Amino acid sequence: MIEVEGLRKTFPARRRGGQQVEAVRDLTFRVGPGERFACIGPNGAGKSTAIKMLTGILHPTAGTARVLALVPWQRRRDLALRIGTLFGQRSQLWSELTPRQGYDLLGAVYGLAPRAVRDRVGELAELLGAAGELDAPVRTLSLGQRMRAELAASLLHEPEVLFLDEPTIGLDLLAKQRFRELLVRVNAERGTTVFLTSHDVADIEHVARRVVVVNHGTLIHDADVAVLRRTLLATKRVEVRFERPPGALDLPGVQAAWRSPTELDLVVDTAARPIRAVLDELLDRGEVADISVVDPPLEQVIAAIYRMPVGP
Amino acid sequence: MGAPLAALRGAVAELLANPRALGLQAGIMALNDGAWIGFWWVFFQRAGTVRGWDFDAVVLLWSVLTTAAGLVLGVLANARRIGQMVTDGSLDAVLALPVRPLPWLLLRRIDGVFVGDALFGLVLFALAGDPTPARAARFAVGVVAAAAVLTGFLVAVESLVFFSGGGRTGELGFQAIVLLGSYPVDVFPAALRVALHTVVPAAFVAAVPARLVDAPDAGAAAALLTAAGGFAVLGWALFTVGLRRYTSGSAWTRA
Repeated sequence: MIEVEGLRKTFPARRRGGQQVEAVRDLTFRVGPGERFACIGPNGAGKSTAIKMLTGILHPTAGTARVLALVPWQRRRDLALRIGTLFGQRSQLWSELTPRQGYDLLGAVYGLAPRAVRDRVGELAELLGAAGELDAPVRTLSLGQRMRAELAASLLHEPEVLFLDEPTIGLDLLAKQRFRELLVRVNAERGTTVFLTSHDVADIEHVARRVVVVNHGTLIHDADVAVLRRTLLATKRVEVRFERPPGALDLPGVQAAWRSPTELDLVVDTAARPIRAVLDELLDRGEVADISVVDPPLEQVIAAIYRMPVGP
Repeated sequence: MGAPLAALRGAVAELLANPRALGLQAGIMALNDGAWIGFWWVFFQRAGTVRGWDFDAVVLLWSVLTTAAGLVLGVLANARRIGQMVTDGSLDAVLALPVRPLPWLLLRRIDGVFVGDALFGLVLFALAGDPTPARAARFAVGVVAAAAVLTGFLVAVESLVFFSGGGRTGELGFQAIVLLGSYPVDVFPAALRVALHTVVPAAFVAAVPARLVDAPDAGAAAALLTAAGGFAVLGWALFTVGLRRYTSGSAWTRA
């Protein structure tokens, strides 16, 4: 569905004698149909440049890409009929008009019949819970409402792939959470492939099943989100509560912090000491009332990836 | 309904969403234009004629200029915002749609202020331009040709930002062509008159079509139509070629 091979983008220096900016370097990956895929990286990592090449907005300096079997920058208009795009800081709607008026106009752009637009808007309003916002001018909507309206606009023509560039930027926590749920629902109910860029780790955690990490324009990691958590940082957090204070624990290589005489938090370096050995020791030395093994927060995982050396 | 028509429909609906603001802006611009006519009336009361131009000729020049410029700067308002859209990355929203970007962005926004210009020009011609059917037809063709020259020129100078990465060539070009076009072309020295028919085609935006209303001339008409076609092609070509160099804004600030 999306095939990227050696994609590169270099921006010219602004001032004479200045350095060129290599925004994307030899990016290679594939995304299958129906995936929820995320490209994550810090500001300036090259992820927005990558998504703009994949949507045909930017021409690459080198490399190839195919989205739905089309080369985006050569067949931009054909591709735009089959994909949806949502850029967090760009609006497709008309600020003085209502979303419904905007959908009518966009429907004409996508060649949809007025009746088809009406039906589709009704479906989307139900799916996104946006019925109450359809008839107020866009400029009067809150940012969260506006992003929902923009999402509906990008889904109007039933795209096969939805590209989202920093879609939750500027939203409050509740609106972010709601928006992430909408993306998951669109993917689940419509089978729409979701391609998301963000520097907000929580977007990835709640939306994506697979993530590539980009830094300095280079892909430095490609993994399932769950695998990323499990394997990349060789640490686990163990939270244990004993019925009564246990005997002396022998836990070399494990950071231990008592929260109370019966509650203990551990950070286990699984490379140095297998998690099973730690659990055995805990179960042998005390009467365990409750125990949980927790993956490290994804922020911590991503931070570790960023610290990795780049390239050969 | 095609994409350009949808863009225009959206722009008109947005314009009419606030009719009071539209009326106020257009009215103030019309008053401003009226003040210029007052200035020229006082001037020609004292000067009589200047190099063959009298008050009636200047009124005709202003009616062509304000109508053509009002149509371009009002109805095709983004013509003078292309450079800004390129540098701040606003073109992304256009390029994400299945549309030809130049017609879409030109028709996407109407500026009510300059609609006042266009209305002023039409009223001025109707009241003081001796609008016989033949003259009205020549006025209409001249205005369309002048608007094509101005649009092509503005798109061309604004598109230079694709190649320079910044700067205000578009704004400078706009100021130059509108300012120079508002004076009778013959008051300028010969070298500048050449420039006003080529590099900054202000003569084709006002003086040449205005003269054609009074005195039909095949050579001048051909020159005007050639300039209209030429600048339209130049603007389209620079925009199209420049689009391949589009950086979506942010990269320039990082360079």
